Amino acid sequence: MSENQAPSSWEPKIIAIVCNWCTYAGADLAGISRIQYPPNVRIIRVPCTGRINPFYVVKALQAGADGVLVSGCHPGECHYLTGNLSARRKFATLKRFLSYIGVEGDRTMFTWVSASEGERFSQVIKGVTEAVRALGPARKLVKQL
Amino acid sequence: MENVEKKLREEAKLLLAEKKIDVLVGYEAGTLPMTATPCFITAPEEADRLVWNAFCVQNLAKFVQDLISLHRESQQRVKPEARTRKVVGVVARGCTTRSLVIQLQERQFNRDDIFVIGVPCGGYVDKRKVAAQVAGQEIREASLAGDRLSVKTAGEAKTLSLGGILADNCLTCRFNNPVLSDLMIGSPASAMAPESEYAGVEAHEKLSPADRWDYFEKEMAKCIRCNACRQTCPSCYCRVCFAEQSQPQWVGVSEDETDTQVFQIMRLYHMVGRCVDCGSCVAVCPMGVDLRTFLKKLDKDAFELFGNRAGSSLEDLPPLSQFKEDDREDFIYDPQKAK
Ligand code: SF4
Ligand code: SF4
Ligand code: SF4
Repeated sequence: MSENQAPSSWEPKIIAIVCNWCTYAGADLAGISRIQYPPNVRIIRVPCTGRINPFYVVKALQAGADGVLVSGCHPGECHYLTGNLSARRKFATLKRFLSYIGVEGDRTMFTWVSASEGERFSQVIKGVTEAVRALGPARKLVKQL
Repeated sequence: MENVEKKLREEAKLLLAEKKIDVLVGYEAGTLPMTATPCFITAPEEADRLVWNAFCVQNLAKFVQDLISLHRESQQRVKPEARTRKVVGVVARGCTTRSLVIQLQERQFNRDDIFVIGVPCGGYVDKRKVAAQVAGQEIREASLAGDRLSVKTAGEAKTLSLGGILADNCLTCRFNNPVLSDLMIGSPASAMAPESEYAGVEAHEKLSPADRWDYFEKEMAKCIRCNACRQTCPSCYCRVCFAEQSQPQWVGVSEDETDTQVFQIMRLYHMVGRCVDCGSCVAVCPMGVDLRTFLKKLDKDAFELFGNRAGSSLEDLPPLSQFKEDDREDFIYDPQKAK
């Protein structure tokens, strides 16, 4: 798509909304272990994925994020026992709905990264960054100020 | 429908006279042809205003929740010993009862705060479809007889068969008979065609993402943010809707097209497992925004993913208020597989 031709200097901006107990700790571990990952991600720490209003995702897209990643504890490992399981239902429906209206599926990603998975965190960020890079800059839903 | 109407009036009189209900929410004839408006009957002698026909469009569950919550709030200002209870009766077809079930699941009131008079439903007339049949001319007179509608405009008189002018949501309705009632009037209505309820969504899913986006953009560009769709929706009873919240301000009030799109995405998304396809929002929209194509998608997903049929059972909870350990997670990103 020609409209999505990125200027050569363009770098994807990715908002990662992550839970305090698993993914944030996983990101920390990646840092401590000096595992490299792309600097395209801006991390927002929340207590639990169950605390994430799906609106955060939509709002991030409106504010110009090229991609949004939500990550929390693996099912069964939630610090609050079931927060991630409620979140899973919300995100399953949200992701489908957003792609139904025409927002590219890869702009919204959901995954699990535990506190011991520094390596996985880095892979997730690499993978998401590449997927979003392939889509080009976000145009849909983005509020022009 | 005639004797349903007659029986309805009799029962309403009795219920009001015996003080089993304090108010009955029903429909009365509107002031324009082809309309019926919601009405509130508080005395037996007013019950003769009640009508039940294919012009009854709005989902009355909206008013039940409204009346009860307003009453409860007013009781806060009364001494505890002087507090009263209010039982709200409602004339309810299938979708209305499903909305009531949702409100009950969400603990808006207790089961004994309401008295449900169930009525069978054969669908309601979509005024836009009628308008299309008479080339948009003003309808001066309209009358129903069996499954035919006769309309008179300034220039012509026409008889239309109901099948061609019922609202889309009615044609594929799965629950046209009440799922909850304290009293049933009339015999159950014959089934509609629920097998094709997702046909529109399936066709839409096959379009390319770019085409789907164009459609969404085009539809939402019509929206003037009047909020009528939200005001009429029985599942939209929040005291403060996100659309009006200012701390944080979720959605801007500007004319910016993305603000409208975001408002719509979130209003629609709040309907996961909570939309009963009553069509009220579509009927009230002054701009003819196609909300149903999007609402039905949410409904389809809630069924595919969680086996949910919104408001079909009092024992169940809305799908996003619960979870299962083995819920599908094929959408979860796996960096190993993605390579
Ligand atoms: S969203 Fe529309 S169709 Fe669905 S319950 Fe609300 S008013 Fe009815
Ligand atoms: S749109 Fe959402 S927040 Fe607003 S009234 Fe409806 S359900 Fe409540
Ligand atoms: S009723 Fe129609 S125009 Fe009004 S806010 Fe809803 S979709 Fe927009």
